[in-house]
Amino acid sequence: CPSLAGIMLLEVFLVLGTIVIYFLFSKKKEETLPFEEGWWGKGQKPDAEEDTTIWPFKVETTEEELSDLFRRLDQARFTEPLESSCFNYGTNTVYLRKVVSYWKNQFNWKKQVEILNKYPQFKTKIQGIDIHFVHVKPPCLPEGQSAKPLLMVHGWPGSFYEFYKIIPLLTDPASHGLSAEHIFEVICPSIPGYGFSEAPHKKDFNSVSAASIFYELMLRLGFNEFYAQGGDWGWLICTNLAQIAPSHVKGLHLNLASVTNMGFIHLLSILLGRHLPRLFGFQDEDVRRMFPFLEKGLYRILLESGYAHIQATKPDTVGCGLNDSPVGLAAYILEKFSTWTDLEFRNLEDGGLERKFNLDDLLTNIMIYWVSGCIVSSMRFYKENVQKGIGTQKHERLTVQVPTGIASFPNEIMHTPQAWAQKKYTNIVSFHFMPRGGHFAALEEPELLAEDILQFVGKVEKEQLWRKK
Amino acid sequence: EGAAFHYGFNSSYLQKVVSYWRNQFDWRKQVEVLNKYPHFQTTIEGIDIHFIHVKPSYVPHGRAVQPLLMVHGWPGSFYEFYKIIPLLTKPAGDDVVFEVICPSIPGYGFSEAPHQKGFDTIAAARIFHKLMNRLGFKEYYLQGGDWGSRITANMAQMLPQSVKGLHLNLIFLGQQGLRRMISVMLGAYVPWLVGLTREDVRRMYPFLQKNFYDLLRESGYLHIQATKPDTAGCGLNDSPVGLAAYILEKFSTWTDKSFLHKDDGGLESKYSLDELLTNVMIYWVTSSIVSSMRFYKENLSKDPGLTADARARVHVPTGIAAFPQEIVHTPRVWAKETFKNIVTYSYMPRGGHFAAFEEPKLLAEDIVRFVRKVEQL
Repeated sequence: CPSLAGIMLLEVFLVLGTIVIYFLFSKKKEETLPFEEGWWGKGQKPDAEEDTTIWPFKVETTEEELSDLFRRLDQARFTEPLESSCFNYGTNTVYLRKVVSYWKNQFNWKKQVEILNKYPQFKTKIQGIDIHFVHVKPPCLPEGQSAKPLLMVHGWPGSFYEFYKIIPLLTDPASHGLSAEHIFEVICPSIPGYGFSEAPHKKDFNSVSAASIFYELMLRLGFNEFYAQGGDWGWLICTNLAQIAPSHVKGLHLNLASVTNMGFIHLLSILLGRHLPRLFGFQDEDVRRMFPFLEKGLYRILLESGYAHIQATKPDTVGCGLNDSPVGLAAYILEKFSTWTDLEFRNLEDGGLERKFNLDDLLTNIMIYWVSGCIVSSMRFYKENVQKGIGTQKHERLTVQVPTGIASFPNEIMHTPQAWAQKKYTNIVSFHFMPRGGHFAALEEPELLAEDILQFVGKVEKEQLWRKK
Repeated sequence: EGAAFHYGFNSSYLQKVVSYWRNQFDWRKQVEVLNKYPHFQTTIEGIDIHFIHVKPSYVPHGRAVQPLLMVHGWPGSFYEFYKIIPLLTKPAGDDVVFEVICPSIPGYGFSEAPHQKGFDTIAAARIFHKLMNRLGFKEYYLQGGDWGSRITANMAQMLPQSVKGLHLNLIFLGQQGLRRMISVMLGAYVPWLVGLTREDVRRMYPFLQKNFYDLLRESGYLHIQATKPDTAGCGLNDSPVGLAAYILEKFSTWTDKSFLHKDDGGLESKYSLDELLTNVMIYWVTSSIVSSMRFYKENLSKDPGLTADARARVHVPTGIAAFPQEIVHTPRVWAKETFKNIVTYSYMPRGGHFAAFEEPKLLAEDIVRFVRKVEQL
């Protein structure tokens, strides 16, 4: 039968091809990523030295802003969903109408602004653009203990606000029933182009650029050594940070750990891993989460990555309407909070949103995108990171030697087993299968995430002490 | 800075379009333009189907009038045919003359949107056959591009006895297949061996660049519409500016790929703002953007190899007009795998995806040429 022979021929080609590529790239260098200073401001870079002052910032709102929003919510045009489609075609407008009604009548933006302002926020100009960040110090430090600086980076479609529930658990663990062995001062910046950080005006602002800006930020704040935590884009930015400045990053904690350059071994482990898990270093939980691979890997990615595809190619087009229609923006963002928290939520009429989050938190996050008008610039980040091809960038080939902790949540869109992660993160100190939770770990399961961060830091600190002796 | 149309629709140019839309565009006048052809609606399979039906104003004695069904695509509408209709309904010399029927696909424009899941091109094909039947036609010609191409091809597969001829300006090919990949690889070096002509080679290679990467770069909309249409369309139904940016981006890039480098997307070099905005207004006033996007999910969610029409061939006489700036070029040798009776295959000298809108004269000439040949057979 010709097609069977054809398939075999294709497999031989594939195998040969990947063997070649594997050997060409298998020499993973231990070099660091160079620190490059960019310039992202408008027009030409001025000759004068950059102003390094840090000034306090508060979120503000006006009556005008609110009445404009309400007018748009009132005039929104909805399209009826198909019968019994739930969230399988995207955000269900029957549920969306309820959200919009809540947004208009019960959601209190002024009160939320006060909540946002309860943590001290600042801005400072780095490489030509204003960087916004939250900086929370512990309320009280026991005698002899110092606060460990922890940089936490958000992703898309999130914001610094995602960390508001976990911050108190890290700056004041004792009051929340957690071990007070390590106390943190937490810095949550907004990625340039997101929220209250200025958007870059030049092309090519990618995760390495963001990492270099956050590196400068931490140095400017006077921290010589710090921990970094991230998920979604935060995962990549913090990883790059660990590659740029390994001597400054004491530990890297991730709730997402993707592997972008797949090689021959990965292909083989996908084909055979279900039957020979131990051969590829898979644990039972890995197998449970990853197989059947077509269904849980490939099709799932295809089904859920439409947004990434269009944002990585035409961000200005897709973001245009969203910056103009708050309802459209809400539909777009809420869909992710539903599906990425639990894929089963697609089969629920209300997308399961209020099971894990409350509407006030969800809308506050959306409002950050709305009032700052940043949806388009947030989407451009996809293009800047992906346009040269996935798996081709220098930083993707370099490894990370900094002590790494990975919290693997069960409902994350795609599971990365430790066996794969350790090819890139050569110094994995802790890797845990979390019992529950999805993509937005900090917002959905702050205690679980905080506990994992604390135990990770504990291990790193012990290791350091042991080394010093 | 310096992005032109590489990141999508350029917002500086968009502001100019919106200003024209607000201050100079006259929708009432455009509505009169739309109404110059007779419109009708009829209920088929539970939904109201809209169509225009244009008969020739003068038919010389003894000349037969050929019924021609022309089907639009996304993000177009029946309006795309307004410039080509007069060229087809006016008899010139010894030529064929047509009466033209342009329906709106259910979920687009003034046709009601389906309320149930599963409305795909086969369902649309069936509905259009019923429409032609209801209008009293037993045999007719079909013309289509974009979704129209697949719908009319389905119609030819479904009821070949009713289809005198099928004319397409875009070919949907079901499966890529290993054989295709091999012929692509060989075709770069020995095109004659795999049946590719020199013009095919010029249009297709460097294959990786032109086809694979171009497709990836241009198919984001397809990916999101085929998976989350309700999400993608929500904001667009609410923001006319967003809708315009989304739709007009396609009219720019799919007309000429080099328009990506222009600050104004080259739109006004081939179309007038009035025409472009009228098409956008059709989506706006009917609130049909979401239902139009759902068509992608209904058609693309299933495994392409398993659908009923995947292996069915088309045996009716087929004419293909291959425009140079079409998103993907399909050589005759590949089209032959599905279309077994290709009567004409023309390399058009210029034009892109929206052939009827952009080059109505060229397309009309090719349709006439094709039909003339079929009538002589």
